[in-house]
Amino acid sequence: MDTSETPPAGQPSGEATASHEVDQERVWRAGKLEPMPIRKLPDAPPSIHLLGPTVFLVALGVGMGESYMWPRLVLVFGPEIRWLFLIGVTLQAIVMLEMARYAMATGESIFFGAARVFKPIMWFFFTVAILVYIWPGHLSAGAAAFEELTGIPWLVTACVGLILVGIVFSLAKIIYNLLENVLSILIGVLVVGTAIIASLVGSWSDLGSTLGGMFAFGYFPDGMMSEAWFPIVVGSIAFAGPSGMQQMWYTLHLRDSGAGMGSHIPKVRGLRHAGEEEKMPSRGFMFDTSDPDEMHKWRGWRRWVTWDAVLLFWGITMLVTISFTVLAQAAARDNPNVAQLIESGEREAALSAMSDSFASVGGPLLGGLFFGFIALIGLNATLGLFDSFSRGQADMTYHFVPGARRLKMSHLYAGFLWGVIAFGIAILLFGPADGPSGVLDILAFLSTFAMGAYCVVLLLVNNRMLPKPIRPKWWTNAIIGFGAVFYLGMLFYSLFAYGVVVS
Amino acid sequence: MDTAHLHRLGEVALPGFAVGLVGGVTAGGLAAVVGQPTGWALTTMLALGLPLALLGGGYGLLIAYGRVRIGGFAPVALYWLVGFPIARLIHEVATRAVLTGEPSLPNDLIGFLAYQGIVSAGFAIGFLWLHERLAPRWWRRVSGHNPLAERVYSGYAAHAEAMWEAKQARKRNRATR
Repeated sequence: MDTSETPPAGQPSGEATASHEVDQERVWRAGKLEPMPIRKLPDAPPSIHLLGPTVFLVALGVGMGESYMWPRLVLVFGPEIRWLFLIGVTLQAIVMLEMARYAMATGESIFFGAARVFKPIMWFFFTVAILVYIWPGHLSAGAAAFEELTGIPWLVTACVGLILVGIVFSLAKIIYNLLENVLSILIGVLVVGTAIIASLVGSWSDLGSTLGGMFAFGYFPDGMMSEAWFPIVVGSIAFAGPSGMQQMWYTLHLRDSGAGMGSHIPKVRGLRHAGEEEKMPSRGFMFDTSDPDEMHKWRGWRRWVTWDAVLLFWGITMLVTISFTVLAQAAARDNPNVAQLIESGEREAALSAMSDSFASVGGPLLGGLFFGFIALIGLNATLGLFDSFSRGQADMTYHFVPGARRLKMSHLYAGFLWGVIAFGIAILLFGPADGPSGVLDILAFLSTFAMGAYCVVLLLVNNRMLPKPIRPKWWTNAIIGFGAVFYLGMLFYSLFAYGVVVS
Repeated sequence: MDTAHLHRLGEVALPGFAVGLVGGVTAGGLAAVVGQPTGWALTTMLALGLPLALLGGGYGLLIAYGRVRIGGFAPVALYWLVGFPIARLIHEVATRAVLTGEPSLPNDLIGFLAYQGIVSAGFAIGFLWLHERLAPRWWRRVSGHNPLAERVYSGYAAHAEAMWEAKQARKRNRATR
């Protein structure tokens, strides 16, 4: 690897270029793959333009973890357990900033970065994505809530929902714009709605204990270090905020929204408009890090992404999860049966009992509202997951499967999207009758492993593939390193000490 | 104040009004879906939706008159820190009036308001998010005949124009290469 010896980006390095035209071009060499040509970094948007691509991450992160797993732990161990949630979410916020560093500096996905370090790492993520994300488990949770609300069987809703998702993304002219608009409205309604529900059913004392619990650092109740609960606690920390590969997909959304050097990469289009797609470059670009003006713009982009990450991601994840915890506490107080169901892990039954409990306090209105929002969370997660999965697989296929570049990126995207939809419908109709919760458990194990692995990848990519002036500071590296030890360590501790995987 | 001026103010305030209304209508609408009596659903829709909508419209006017920074989170959070508890109090009193026949305040008024104040931060994030999505587009639509909307939209337009020009420059670069 020659990156540490490589001259700073911006200095001419004319070797290994075939054509005469490219011979003059200044490039940045990272790893053994094609070098990145030097281009101008665009200006960062002002902070008022605060609705960046984090919407996707929030959409993915505000999933079942927040609405179910943490309330469950709070009921079993008390609100003090939430200090672990605070650590999990904060760690994810730092990871997010580091993912953005590579994507904004190069316009490449983190998968491409991993391939620059060592190609098999990328193929590992390619395989894990397929193993983890083709299961339609995330969809069934929302559809089940929809059934409670309307009486329409959840299987029908789930299948119709899958086909609708495929049609919507195939017809969209530029997928990113459509997705951003739809998700933004859904998330906005979710956030406003969550706040209103919390304001209707919660009380000062519920909130006080929930907030206070987040700062009970070092609280380890006896029951937590047991075969039954430790794996669940580990899984719940992994599920705090965006879990699994969602952070890696975030780099694709950053690129598609034109953040940093992503502005030099064309956007992915829906199948119907694939013909209009510009030629996708075979690698990303780098800016001149020896030019003070460019570095000034870079700092602007870092500010933009920090603002984006902290306010939207951290704030909304906290809000939704605190609200749901307050709801679970309120429900358990009114109806002890709820606490029992939640603790036993009967998710559907527990959600139903929570809804009944709210209905008994505030009328059917609150019970219905509760299910409406569970359904909305399910819809958000499905939209975001399917799009992100197809984007990630298409990106890796396009760049690294021989011959794939004869197709357009949009065609590959459509192929993966409809593939995962067809498989999802087949599983829903003929798959194991294990129920959706079973699928989520497998997902949690692989997610945790992938998260430990991407922390290692981040350290390698950002410290070896980027020019020195824009590499992470030592303390950022220390936090990401802690993340790797935290995820992998807990995963394997659980495996060896208790003989069980996380759940 | 003449009718035309009022009309212009109304147009500028409309997005904030709509977003505020979403809260109440979502609550009331779902009540109707789950078979709640129409009267109950309407009470929630009006008693919560209307105050939130009026306050939301008020925020739009503050922006139009340059009293608060466009898109900034702190002003919105402060605004709803006061506004949201008031709207919830109105809703609480009105609901009690409909259910029991006579209006009354919540038992622990201070605790109630304090709790609503905390929750207002969440509402403020959602409100700002939706408002920033909807308002600039709407203001652009009406900016042709509404100078007030035009002024506030121009703040957004300046930014969008800079982005668009950068994009055109890139296209020209590609074409000439």
